[in-house]
Amino acid sequence: MAYQSVEADEVTFLPLHPRGYYQPPTPGANASFWNLEYYQKYFDVDTITVATRCYTTLLPLSPSYLSAHLTPSPDLYGPFWTLTTLIFCLYVFSSLASSLTAYLSGAEVDYNFSLLSIAVTLVYSYGLGFPVLLWVVLRYFGVSEWSVVEAVAVWGYGQFVWIPVSILCVIPVPIVRWVLVGAGFGVSGYFLVANVYPVIATAEAKAVRGLVVLVAVLHAALALTFKVLFFSYYIKEIGESARVVLSDS
Amino acid sequence: MASQHYIQPDDDDDLDDLSIPGYTHPSLSPAEAQSKGKSRAVPDQLAPPSPLSGNIGSGYRAATKSTVAGVRVETRYTGEETLDEPVTATITRDLLSIYHKLLQVLYPRRTGSGREVLRDWDLWGPLILCLLLGIMLSINAPHSQSLSIFTTVVGIVSVGSLVVTVQAKLLGGRVSFFQALCVLGYCVAPLDIAALIACFVRLVWVRAPIALLAWAWCIWASVNFLDGTKIEQQRILLAVYPLLLFYFILAWMILIL
Repeated sequence: MAYQSVEADEVTFLPLHPRGYYQPPTPGANASFWNLEYYQKYFDVDTITVATRCYTTLLPLSPSYLSAHLTPSPDLYGPFWTLTTLIFCLYVFSSLASSLTAYLSGAEVDYNFSLLSIAVTLVYSYGLGFPVLLWVVLRYFGVSEWSVVEAVAVWGYGQFVWIPVSILCVIPVPIVRWVLVGAGFGVSGYFLVANVYPVIATAEAKAVRGLVVLVAVLHAALALTFKVLFFSYYIKEIGESARVVLSDS
Repeated sequence: MASQHYIQPDDDDDLDDLSIPGYTHPSLSPAEAQSKGKSRAVPDQLAPPSPLSGNIGSGYRAATKSTVAGVRVETRYTGEETLDEPVTATITRDLLSIYHKLLQVLYPRRTGSGREVLRDWDLWGPLILCLLLGIMLSINAPHSQSLSIFTTVVGIVSVGSLVVTVQAKLLGGRVSFFQALCVLGYCVAPLDIAALIACFVRLVWVRAPIALLAWAWCIWASVNFLDGTKIEQQRILLAVYPLLLFYFILAWMILIL
C-alpha cells in the first residue's frame, strides 16, 4: 500500500510570522556551540530595535528601562558594537582634544598610539569580562534565571552614555569635563544598578546584596580611569599656556 | 552530487589504489587543487570538470566543488596547460586578475561579465593592499612609533574584515566567507590612494577632504557588495555600520599621521 499524500499534509501549523510569511524552524535550533548558526539567534534584531535599546538607557523614567524590555531575547549585536564604538570614540575624540589644545597653545602635537590598545583592553574587559564574571559568581550563589547574554547586554548597552560624553569632552575647560564625566557615571551607574539589583536580590543569602556595592565601586573606578586617560591627559601638560590663551580672548 | 562510488562486493580483494573510492591521486592533493591552474590537467577518474555555468567570453570556468575522501575540494581550471609557461606569464596572469578585481570593486560595471570576476576570490590582492597601507602610514611616523603603527594597521584591516564578514553572516546574509573577506579587502584600495596622497601633502585642509572622500568611496564600494547578500532591508544598516567604523578608523589614521 503506497502512501497517498493528502492535501491536508501540505498545511503546516507553523505560526504566522508578524511580517506575514510562514517562518521555517529557526536555523540555529540544532547547531552546536562551535557553529556560527548557534549564535544567529542572538543577532535577530532590526536597526530600530538596537537604536531604541541604546537611547532607552538614557531615560530612567521610561517604562522599558529595566531589562524586561530585552524581550523576546537579548541580543549581542548592540553590546558588542556599543563597546567598539566607545573605544573608537574615546580614541578619536581624545586625539582631537589633544590637537585642539595644541593648536590653541601653539605646541607640538604628539599622538599616543598606545592609548588605542589601552582603550581596547579596558573597555572590552570591563564591558564583556566583568559581566561574565558576575554571572559566574551569581550562578554560584544560586541565581539561575539570569542568562550570561542578558548580563553582557546590560553592561554593553549601559556604556552607551559614554559616547556623547566623550564627544562633548573635546571642550578644553576642566570643570566642564569633570561635570560631564560625573553625569556619565551617574546615568550609566544608575542603569547598571537598577538592572542588576533585582537579580542580586533573588539570591538566598542576604550578604550577596553587597555585590551591588562592588558593581558601583568598579563603575566609579572606570569613570575615573576614563577621565584621567582620555579626557584630561592633554590638558594637564598644556594647562598653563591654555589658561593664558583663554584669558586673553 | 559528490563523486562517490559504491564498493561492489567483488572488489573487496582489489588492492589497486586507484579504485578505492575517494582516493586522492598524489599529484592532486587538495592544496594543489585550489591553486588556480598551476597543477596539471585533472586526472579523469577523480574530478572531471563539471558542465560549465554561464561565464561567456571570459577565460574563467566556474569552480567545481566535489567531496574527495570527505574533504571538500574546489578545483579551478583555466583551460590550458600551465606548467610549461614562463614564470612571467604566470605572474602576469595573477597580477591581471588582481587588477580586474580591483577595477570591478572600485568602479563596478553593470554588465554581466564584470560581476563574474569577483567569484574567483583570492586573498593576495587584499594582502598587498593592506601591507601597502601599513607601509605608507608608518613611513612618515616618528621612529619610535612606526612599528606599532604598522602592526596596528595590519591588525585592524585583517581583524576588521574578519569581524565584518562574520557579522554579515550572523545577521542572516547569504555570503561566502572568503568571497566577503576578499571584497572587503579590495575595498580598502581608495584608502591606499588617500594614504599615498597624504604622504606628500602636509596641509590638513587638503588631507581632510581627501580622506573623507576615500572613506565615502570605500563605503559605497562595500555597500554595493553587501546589497547582493540578501540581508533584510530593516537590518541593512546594522550590517553597514561596522564598515563605517572600520573604514573610519583607517581614514582617521591617514588624516592624523
